[in-house]
Amino acid sequence: MNEENLSILSLIVNASLPVQAVMGILFIASVMSWIMIVQRGIFLSQAQNNFKDFEDTFWSGVDLAQYYQELTQKAKDIGISDGIENVFRAGFREFNRLSHSDKADPDAVMEGTDRAMRVALSREDEKLGVNLPFLANVASVSPYIGLLGTVWGIMDTVRGLGMMQQATLAAVAPGISEALIPTAMGLFAAIPAVIAYNRYAAKVEGINTSYETFSDEFSSILHRQVYSK
Amino acid sequence: MTNYLSYGLGAIGSICIHGLVLSVLLIPGNGDTQAIVIQPQYINSKLVELAPKKKVVVPKRTKEDTAEKKRERQRRLDASKAKAKAKTNADALKKKKADLDRKERERLALEQDKLERERLEELQRQELAAEFAQTLAEEQSLISAQEDEVAANSYRQLISQRLSENWSRPPSARRGMETLIRLQLVPTGRVVGVTILTSSGDSAFDRSVEQAAFKAAPFVELQQMAPSLFEKKFRQVDVSFSPLDLRL
Repeated sequence: MNEENLSILSLIVNASLPVQAVMGILFIASVMSWIMIVQRGIFLSQAQNNFKDFEDTFWSGVDLAQYYQELTQKAKDIGISDGIENVFRAGFREFNRLSHSDKADPDAVMEGTDRAMRVALSREDEKLGVNLPFLANVASVSPYIGLLGTVWGIMDTVRGLGMMQQATLAAVAPGISEALIPTAMGLFAAIPAVIAYNRYAAKVEGINTSYETFSDEFSSILHRQVYSK
Repeated sequence: MTNYLSYGLGAIGSICIHGLVLSVLLIPGNGDTQAIVIQPQYINSKLVELAPKKKVVVPKRTKEDTAEKKRERQRRLDASKAKAKAKTNADALKKKKADLDRKERERLALEQDKLERERLEELQRQELAAEFAQTLAEEQSLISAQEDEVAANSYRQLISQRLSENWSRPPSARRGMETLIRLQLVPTGRVVGVTILTSSGDSAFDRSVEQAAFKAAPFVELQQMAPSLFEKKFRQVDVSFSPLDLRL
């Protein structure tokens, strides 16, 4: 049983139970992390595109009240709304409510609007960061799990070697080969997860920054409106 | 909505990637290993059929032709005899003339026949020559294509001979037992691994086979082999051991 294709399968099948368990865990982790990787990739690029579209429309000189109505209608139709639209809608709604009340103190209006936008912002931040902790977990832990499996397998092999009359390479080689598989699987699971985590974390950071920038800009527009009355 | 969709896409993508990796890893590659069958030594006799002799058809055909002609002539003669009998002697002159005429015609026909025969023979010769050239060309291409195979076969022969020399069968060996082993070789000719692919069911027999492989071990002749050929055919060699000569 040397490093031959057929025997990888037989090695996995013939592995001892703890090693098999480790391999199973790692395989599941790998499958899950790839699901997350693809899902997050789609979600984040969607968020980026949405933000771009939103900014284009926003700065094209559209009537803000009308745009707000449009977005609200759209959110009602689809049922969910994501991203920067929520921040805008939350701020605008709060601003309208406060400024239409009788005793509208400009400072109070601005404070309320900012607070509403801050809340919406942190909600969006949460949405963007969903699943990233899982990727980080897989990235950091799965090599250790793999190592555990390997150590266990080598322990077994060496113990078996002690019972043999003569210690040949052929006696240990299959065991070691089997024991090394979990490490390979751990790395196989971890490497994509590390790459994806770093990439997506940077992306989330970037998107968050642009959301904040937008909310500041929007706030300054409202500020001008409040104080120009 | 889009959330579920993207999770679904993620699941599909993930399963695809893992399936791909697993299939690459686990589907056994068809290593170009050809099983060598080890049998106790005896000489195989084999009927070698040379290129089948071309039957010359032409002479036969011409013979047939002449036979036909003869029969024809006979028939015609008979007919004319009958006619002659029927007619009176007054027609004798006429008949003689006709006879002469006929003889002339027959001579012409014979001549033509001869010419035809010659032409046919010429054609036959050409055909044979063409066929010969074609077989030659085929042979040439086959030789160049099978050069590797021939070399590999000679090495296989060598391995099989050495293995059978070093194989001592246990008493428990029975006719019909077969053990298929896989030798892992390195270019120096050493055997680095022996795997039993198909056990005979008799552990003593299997052990004897393994021992034979290790006893025959350094196949130093393999060092002279072209590395590409070694990689292609001799990294792993499948050998099947079976005692066909036993009566038990």
